[in-house]
Amino acid sequence: MAEAVLTGISETRTRPAGWRPRRTTLVALTLLAPSLVFLTLFTYWPVIQVVWQSLFNQQRVGGPQVYVGAANFFKLFADNAFRKALSNNLIYAFGTVVPSLVLALGFAMALARSSRINALFRALFFLPVLIPLVAAASIFLFIFLPGVGLLDYHLAKLALSGPNWLGDPDIALYAIMGLTIWKNAGYYMLFFLAGLQAVPADAYEAAILDGAGPWQRLRYVTLPYLKPTIGFVMVIGLLNVVTQVDHVFVLTKGGPSDSTNLLLFYVYQQAVESYDAGKAAAGTLVMLALLLAISASSLRTLERSFGERDT
Amino acid sequence: MTSTRRTVLAATAFAATLALSPAFAQAPIEIELFFPVPVDGQLARDMTTMVKEFNEKHPAIKATPVYTGSYDETLIKTRAAMKAGKPPAAVIMSANFLLDLKIEGEIQKLDDLIKTDGKTNDAFMGQFFKALHGNAVLDRSVYGVPFHNSTPLLYVNADHFREAGLDPDKLPTNWEELAAAAKKLTKREGDRVTRWGVMAPSNYDYGGWILQALTHSNGGQWFNPEFGGEVYYDTPSMLGALTFWSDLVAKHKVHPAGVQAGGAVSSAFLAGQASMMLLSTGSLTHIRTNAKFPYKVAFVPRNVRNEVPIGGASLVIPTGVEDARKKAAWTLITWMTNPEKSGWWSRATGYLAPNMAAYDLPEMKAFIEKNPDAGIAVKQLDVAKPWFATYKTVTVRKAIEDELQAVLSGKKQPKEALVAAQKNADEIMKPFVEQTALKLPTN
Repeated sequence: MAEAVLTGISETRTRPAGWRPRRTTLVALTLLAPSLVFLTLFTYWPVIQVVWQSLFNQQRVGGPQVYVGAANFFKLFADNAFRKALSNNLIYAFGTVVPSLVLALGFAMALARSSRINALFRALFFLPVLIPLVAAASIFLFIFLPGVGLLDYHLAKLALSGPNWLGDPDIALYAIMGLTIWKNAGYYMLFFLAGLQAVPADAYEAAILDGAGPWQRLRYVTLPYLKPTIGFVMVIGLLNVVTQVDHVFVLTKGGPSDSTNLLLFYVYQQAVESYDAGKAAAGTLVMLALLLAISASSLRTLERSFGERDT
Repeated sequence: MTSTRRTVLAATAFAATLALSPAFAQAPIEIELFFPVPVDGQLARDMTTMVKEFNEKHPAIKATPVYTGSYDETLIKTRAAMKAGKPPAAVIMSANFLLDLKIEGEIQKLDDLIKTDGKTNDAFMGQFFKALHGNAVLDRSVYGVPFHNSTPLLYVNADHFREAGLDPDKLPTNWEELAAAAKKLTKREGDRVTRWGVMAPSNYDYGGWILQALTHSNGGQWFNPEFGGEVYYDTPSMLGALTFWSDLVAKHKVHPAGVQAGGAVSSAFLAGQASMMLLSTGSLTHIRTNAKFPYKVAFVPRNVRNEVPIGGASLVIPTGVEDARKKAAWTLITWMTNPEKSGWWSRATGYLAPNMAAYDLPEMKAFIEKNPDAGIAVKQLDVAKPWFATYKTVTVRKAIEDELQAVLSGKKQPKEALVAAQKNADEIMKPFVEQTALKLPTN
C-alpha cells in the first residue's frame, strides 16, 4: 500500500501546470492499469466498504443497517474481550518477534560460512517456513495433546508430567508463541544471511587488529552493519503478528477464557459468531491503523539507517 | 478487442439460454444443498451417494451437494451466499442456529409447504422424536426438519472397571457413583496422574453442551426454550452442575485441570489414559472402530433426574428461495428425512435418526441388535430436551464457557463465575429483550 501512495505523490509532482497529462504519465498509467484495476477492486474498494460499515450497524434486531456514528468504536473499546485481545497481541508481538530475531541472527552467524554441513543446517532451519501455518498448527495440535501428545510422551519418559499446554490459560499463549517462533526464525535467518554477506571483511580485520573480542565485534561491527536488515525483519515480524491467526483458529479458538485471543481472531468472532458487522469493521480499522503506524514508523527508521550508512 | 466482442457474444448467448430455459420443460431444476461434515471425511462420500440416488429417482430435479466445512463454516458460507443474492435451496444447519436465523429473517417458515402436502404442523412434526421439536418449531411455525441428531453419553472402559474391582454391568447412574468410580479408576505414580477417572470436553461449543447436560441432570433448564432473551446461568441448578465438575478437578482430583478439547478427550479414552468420558453419541462410530478394548455406554449420570440436551442438525430453506426451487428443495428435504433414508444415514454415520419410524424398519432393528450401544443412545432421546438457543446463541454461550474454563483452571470460584456469566449474557441479549419482552406501552 505504501508503494501505491508513493507513486501517487510522484505523479502529482511530475504533472505540468496545464491539466493535460504528459505522455510519460499516460504511459505510466497504462502500464499500471492492470494492477491498479485489481488493487481498486480487491483492496481499496473493500477498504472503503469497511470504513462505511464501521459507521453503520443494526439498530433494531433483524432490522436494516443504519448510521450510528462512532458508536461501534465506543462499543469496541468498552469490550473487555477486545482489550484482552489487544494486550494479548502486544505480549505476543514482543514475545515472538524478539526471540525469533535473536534466534535468526544466531543461526545466521553460525551458518554464515558456506560449507556443505552449513547448507544442510540452513535447509533444516528453513524447513518450518515451507509448511503452511494451518498445517503446522495441526501438527502442533498433536504435539501439545495432553497425555498422549509428543511433548507429554517424552516428558513421561522422564517421569515428568507436562502442563495442559493449550488448556491452561496461563500457558496457552506461550505455547502458541513457541509455535510461532519455531515457524518464523528460519525465515528471518534468510534475511540475516543475506545481510551478513554485506559486512565487509576488512571491518572485522580492523576490529581484530584493534584487539576486539567476539562480543565487541558483534556489538560494534556486525550489528551496525545489520541495522537495515534488523529494521526490515522487524516490519515483517510485526506484520505477521497482526495478520496471522491460523494457529489460534486451529489450536484454541482464542480460549481458554480468551487467553489466546488475538485482534484478528477477535474481529472474526465479531463478524461471524456475534454477527456484529459494525463492531467487526471498527476492529478491522483499529488493526489497519496499527499496521499503517508500524509500517510507516519502521519504514522511516529503515530509510534513516540506510542514510546513516551512506554518510 | 476480439476478446471483448467474444465476451459480449457469449453473454448474449447465455442470456438467451436463460430467457428460453422455461420453454424446455425437460430441463431439470438445479438446486444446491449445503452440507457440513462435523465428524470425519467418510460423511462427504455418503452424502454424495445419497444425493445421487435422489437425482436418479427425481429426474425433474438436479440437486448438487456442496461441502461447506464445519457447522460454523456452513453458517458463514450460507450467509455469504445469501448476501451475494444466490442462496442455496437447502442447508443442513446446526440445530441451535435456527432461532438466530429466524430472528434475523434468514430462513423461511415451512408451514405452507407442509399444508400443501395436506398435513398439519403437528402431524408433520409428529414423525420426529419429541425432543427435537424445540429447536425446529419456533413460535408455532416449523423452520427446520431434523436431519441427524446426537446427545451426550457416558462412555466407559470395561477393562479398567474390572481391574479397579468395579462391575462393568453396573455403570454409574448418579453423580455420587460417578465420583466414587472415578476415584477408584484414577491411577497415580507419585504426583503424576497416569490415568484419569473421568474426562469431559470443555472447549468452546462442546463445553457449553456438556455443562448443559449436567445442568439438566441437576434439575435445571439453562435457558427459556420459549423466549430467546433469557438464560438461567446464576441459578442453584447450574451452580450445582458447575461445582460438581469443578470438584472432580480440584477436590477429587479425578479429572484433568484446564480445558480439554473433544478430540483430546476421545484420544485419551482410546489410549487408555481416561477410564470414563462424557462425549457425543456422534462419536460412537469412531469409538466403535478404534477402541482396542471392550467399552460400554450409559445415560449421563444424574443428580436430580436423567435429562440431556440434543445436538445435531436440521434442514432449512434460506430466505429468497422461491417457487420451483423452493418446491424442489422441499421434495429433497422430505425425501432425505423419510424413515428409510433417515435410518440409512444413521447407520452410515453413527448419528441418531430423527424419524421415529426409522427404528421400526428391519435393517435398523438388526443393526441395533448387533450394536446395543446405539440402542442406548436412542433411548436417551426420550429424556432429552432442546439444545440451548437464544438471541446470539454463540456469544451468549461463550459468556458461560469463558467462565467454565476459568473455573476448571482454578482461576475462579463457581459462584462468582456464574454471576459474571449471567451479567455478560444479559448484556448481550439486552437489545433483543428491549425490543420484545420489555417493549411496553409508554402511556
